[in-house]
Amino acid sequence: MRAMTAATKTVWGLALAAIAGLVLAPSAKAQDIKGDPARGRQVFAACRTCHYPEKGFGHHNGPSLYGIFGRKSGTQPGFRYYSEMLKRAQFVWTPELLDAWLANPDMLPESTMVFVGLPDAQDRADLIAYLAQFRD
Amino acid sequence: MTRSSRQHRTTRRDFLRTLGGLGGAAALAGAADAAPLGTREVRHWDDKTDLLVLGSGAAGIAAALEGRQQGLDVLVVEKFRVPGGTSSLSGGVCYLGGGTPLQKALRFEDSIEAMHAYLIAAGGVHAPREKIDAYCEGSLEQFDWLVAQGVVYARRYSDEKELSHEPASLYYCGSERVHPFNEIARPAPRGHVPAAENQTGGRALMEALLASASRQGVRLRTGVSARRLIVESDGRVVGAAVEEGGQVRYLRARRGVVLATGGFVHNPGMLQLHAPELAACRPHWGRAGDLGDGIRMGLAVGGNVLRMNQGFAVLPLYPPEHVLKGIVVNATGQRFVNEDVYYGEIGHEVVYHQGGRAFLIVDADSDYPAPDYRLVVAAQADTIAALERAIAIPEGALQQTVDYYNRHAAEGRDPLWHKDRAFLAPLQRAPFKAYDLSVENAFIAVHTLGGLQTDLDARVIGAWGEPIPGLYAAGRATAGIPTAPYRSSGTSIGDCIFFGRRAARHAARHAT
Repeated sequence: MRAMTAATKTVWGLALAAIAGLVLAPSAKAQDIKGDPARGRQVFAACRTCHYPEKGFGHHNGPSLYGIFGRKSGTQPGFRYYSEMLKRAQFVWTPELLDAWLANPDMLPESTMVFVGLPDAQDRADLIAYLAQFRD
Repeated sequence: MTRSSRQHRTTRRDFLRTLGGLGGAAALAGAADAAPLGTREVRHWDDKTDLLVLGSGAAGIAAALEGRQQGLDVLVVEKFRVPGGTSSLSGGVCYLGGGTPLQKALRFEDSIEAMHAYLIAAGGVHAPREKIDAYCEGSLEQFDWLVAQGVVYARRYSDEKELSHEPASLYYCGSERVHPFNEIARPAPRGHVPAAENQTGGRALMEALLASASRQGVRLRTGVSARRLIVESDGRVVGAAVEEGGQVRYLRARRGVVLATGGFVHNPGMLQLHAPELAACRPHWGRAGDLGDGIRMGLAVGGNVLRMNQGFAVLPLYPPEHVLKGIVVNATGQRFVNEDVYYGEIGHEVVYHQGGRAFLIVDADSDYPAPDYRLVVAAQADTIAALERAIAIPEGALQQTVDYYNRHAAEGRDPLWHKDRAFLAPLQRAPFKAYDLSVENAFIAVHTLGGLQTDLDARVIGAWGEPIPGLYAAGRATAGIPTAPYRSSGTSIGDCIFFGRRAARHAARHAT
């Protein structure tokens, strides 16, 4: 992994600012949307290219997503492929943060997670509701 | 677009606009975006190279490596910050045979003839025969080349039907042992997978190829999006206009441009237009760059496309393999496939030929051990008669199918579809379940197999049947060896590498 440049630090700073903005002032709309975990199973299907949410399935191309909410980012034991950004960021994953990232994949351009994004807020809510089921 | 070039709109672009008015502005909007630039519009070249490769997946990096090995200067541009493309998320399987050192080390017999017979049969009516001929002839050399680039294969075989989660490097990755292919060609395991855990062979493959590319002096620039090809007045492709950090840059390619930009599964408009059957499925499988950019750039300089409706549509019933003792039926209760085929064929049948509806019928013995993310239960009942009512199959039809199946399965036979004995068992122990295999509810991973028409040197073929000078394409930007139904893992990655290299070799021999 290459060292983080000044430019990437700036980008990361902007990304964090964007995240903070969303967390501190989530739109009424985003909060009102209730996720359907059954629908989320199919929305999440694309994520299975790289992620297992099931307990004990381990890491794939991306880290295991078992019990993701409430966990510190970039700290899963045994996963060696975090971007420098994510390793250094050390924030705690919340549904709001995941929603922000899924809505805007360019937020973390250095991430090894190169995906198309989920522009539909209901899709994101469904996915998050599905993912939230996988925890102790 | 820079201001200066905006003042020099090509007549070609105006022409396209005129066509747009005639043929539908919306359809032309995408083509105009990718419309070629004339060299007279390029005031200066920001960079020059021999071989310009657009995309950094297996096809692009194979082209780049071969270009360096042929003594060319090579520049690869990748839209995203992280190189590797969809190949890096794949299983990394390469379909190789004919007695590779790995096959021999694990004591499997194979021949080029058997591999060829299988690929021709599995390719069906769309099989590109000449490409398959060349691919099979080059199979042993391709394995050696991969090893020489640093790809590591473990001396370990897996008998699982699916890519193993253990780091095994050889397995039966297609329908070789399945009827009718087991009667057409002597089966051999031909799925060659870089040693990696949890199906991350694609990452291991691309790490090795990218490291080799770096060692061999391939220039790789990430965060650079190709926008338009640049053509001479005679139609020769001599470079590309790319975007980097909001700036347009002009890259000159002395020997040729290789479109290695992937398929188009993540371009909803293109997918709906060409392959609505795939658009209806979930998930769309591939990294974010599968937007059809290269296909559109190729179309815009007169390239021809093939098989744009075709795709890989994997409906994975297994693992566990014992569920294949169940039967797959359509909405009228009829079986339409031997359930033990490669899972891409079941998906293909459901998606393209059964109206997107089907069920997996199991009894208590052939059921999944636990609820599974891939499939939901459509109905459960204590008798087949009650089950068929619950899923609205015409009365008696499923009962008849199950009776017929059970009668022969008890004797270890399947006269209708010839499923292997290992997966034959009467369905007789309640409860019976019908799993929903419909495109709305089942996990059916899809990506596109259609793309630009290319010849054996990976040259893009124009609408009039002649190669477009200076333009090459490889991988899923092309219609290559994998055709639908997709019957064997590794034919896509294998095709990427083989024809990526062919492109570079041809370019090295022919100056544009």
